[in-house]
Amino acid sequence: MAAFKKPDLETVTTINRDGSHFIVHPADVKGRFTMWRRWMALVLILVYALLPWIPVNGYPAVFLDVINRRFHLFGYTLGAQDLWLLFFLVSGLAFLLFFITAFLGRVWCGWACPQTVFLEHVFRRVERCIDGDATARRRLDKAAWTPEKIFRRLLKHGIFVLLAAAIAHVFLSYFISIPELWQWMQHSPLEHWSAFVFVFVITGILYFNFAWFREQLCIVICPYGRMQSALLDEHTRNIAYDEKRGEPRGPVSAEGAGDCIDCDRCVQVCPTGIDIRQGIQLECVACANCIDACDRIMDKLNRPRGLIRYASDEELEGRPMRWVRPRTILYAVLLLVGLGVAFGALQKVQPLSANVTRMSGAPFFMTADSIRNQFQIRISNKSNEVQRITLDARVPEGNIIEKATVVDWQLDPMEERIFTWVINTPRAGFAGNFPVEIRLESQPGGWTIERAMSFVGPDPKLLQQP
Amino acid sequence: MKGNHAMSDNNHSDKRPPVDDETMRPHVYDGIQEYDNRMPNWWLWTFYITIIFSAVYWFTFFDAGIMPTDEERMAAFKNELEEKRLAAAGDINAETLWEMSGNPGFVSAGEKVYRDYCMACHGANMEGGIGQSLVDDQWVWGNTPMSIYEVVANGSPNRMAGMQAWMNDIGPQRVSQVVAYILSHHTPESLANASSENPPIAE
Repeated sequence: MAAFKKPDLETVTTINRDGSHFIVHPADVKGRFTMWRRWMALVLILVYALLPWIPVNGYPAVFLDVINRRFHLFGYTLGAQDLWLLFFLVSGLAFLLFFITAFLGRVWCGWACPQTVFLEHVFRRVERCIDGDATARRRLDKAAWTPEKIFRRLLKHGIFVLLAAAIAHVFLSYFISIPELWQWMQHSPLEHWSAFVFVFVITGILYFNFAWFREQLCIVICPYGRMQSALLDEHTRNIAYDEKRGEPRGPVSAEGAGDCIDCDRCVQVCPTGIDIRQGIQLECVACANCIDACDRIMDKLNRPRGLIRYASDEELEGRPMRWVRPRTILYAVLLLVGLGVAFGALQKVQPLSANVTRMSGAPFFMTADSIRNQFQIRISNKSNEVQRITLDARVPEGNIIEKATVVDWQLDPMEERIFTWVINTPRAGFAGNFPVEIRLESQPGGWTIERAMSFVGPDPKLLQQP
Repeated sequence: MKGNHAMSDNNHSDKRPPVDDETMRPHVYDGIQEYDNRMPNWWLWTFYITIIFSAVYWFTFFDAGIMPTDEERMAAFKNELEEKRLAAAGDINAETLWEMSGNPGFVSAGEKVYRDYCMACHGANMEGGIGQSLVDDQWVWGNTPMSIYEVVANGSPNRMAGMQAWMNDIGPQRVSQVVAYILSHHTPESLANASSENPPIAE
């Protein structure tokens, strides 16, 4: 059989004519981009695995406490009522991705997407260790089920399942925190069966994805990949083959031939099985394997590197790349709006929130010498410390309020309570409704919340009558 | 499936292998044509599984009725809530309120309710203030446990100056708890010997 499947533009290499999945075995590749991608992957995996372990302000750096509806992000704690700002954060990050795509194409896919990071730098490495290089892997796929093949398959898939389970557990710890996860892991699955089923299903999906499904996710499912034709233009630096320099292809010694010797190394190393020399295609995840592969060949031939390189269509035509374009300006504005609003709002979100409402029933109460208003103050403590609340009320000059309630309120960490607050004003001299501004302050946090209400009473004219 | 995206119009496309007509679908929209390739089998399987699921779903929910429908589950939840409400409110009488007032768990829960909602008017030690004192032997609407419960639940009969109704705000359980907390400062004898401005509104 051929060493690899010859790609064409009519079909997707990884889907056979009969609809079955063609398993690509990319050849080994070495080079500067491969090295840098591997470092990048290491950093990203560390970030993924360590975020739930790093405490910031008493909580893990990222702890999406769904059970209590408290979301801890790098020291900020958001309640369910603060989640509107995530709209701006998420849309800002999406436009950041658009922005980067407009300049550099699918660098996200090749360098930072968890699918690529785990697939290329974890699962395929394991496969390489157990089954050998691309040729050996292809041979093993074809081989009969000898005890050796069974052993290799069991070992490989066993490790795959363990890795998938590890990734799934880290994922769960984002929602329940590491100590809680450790607790749950030591108990019977029946005690936390929903979490158990969650991890079980996630493990299953990850295993299926990384053991078999692989590039199909990028080619058929991922919506970001499908948007490429709308996000790219002739100034985008994609991974591109320099046709002017390469064509016509021919052996090293051939007269009048271009720099491409048609060795097919770029095809052999491609994880989606395409030929980059046919132009940018929907399968390309911009992993830069073909750049490294081609550069090594060019080095051997003493020809300059970069027959395949990051280049825009315009650059390949010898014209300069334009950085400022309508689309880059638009994406920049949208990303700045999203991220600006999100981070601005984040500064204003404090760990204390309060709402003041008038108590149900009559709006005011009268005794022989005073008028009374009653309020309910709902306070939510989103910090991890006990907060003592003091209250300061201000009224316009000439009005008097007597605070009937001694404010000595205390809230446990994460507690939400409703307090009753009652104020009086002397009946004599009451000249109509007046505003009341209250200011709540909490210690040790030192957070303040101001709310404006009004003191209501009867029509003063009615009070004049005996 | 491939080749119908914008980038294939660029200047690399002259290196394409020639396309024979049988590989294309016959339709053309704005010059865009589609290759006649088979769908991936795994994708077809998601359709087959959906079809199988719909049959199983139809059978269990609508034909055999093995699984309760949403309406039935809703009705069951409502019944459950109603039962709980009745259980919380149904057995309230002088005797059970006294019993609750002897239960430390109930009383401490009642104290927490008192601190949140009642202290503002009745004072930190129930000594009174805007509201009446709850520890002396003078009562306004009756010196019986059920009168106290009635006033807390439905408010003072004096609508202009008296206390509001609390039942809708805090629910039957916390009303019972806070009444138990008040009663824990009295005994059946001391309450019976106290005086009331008005005849008790409930026995």
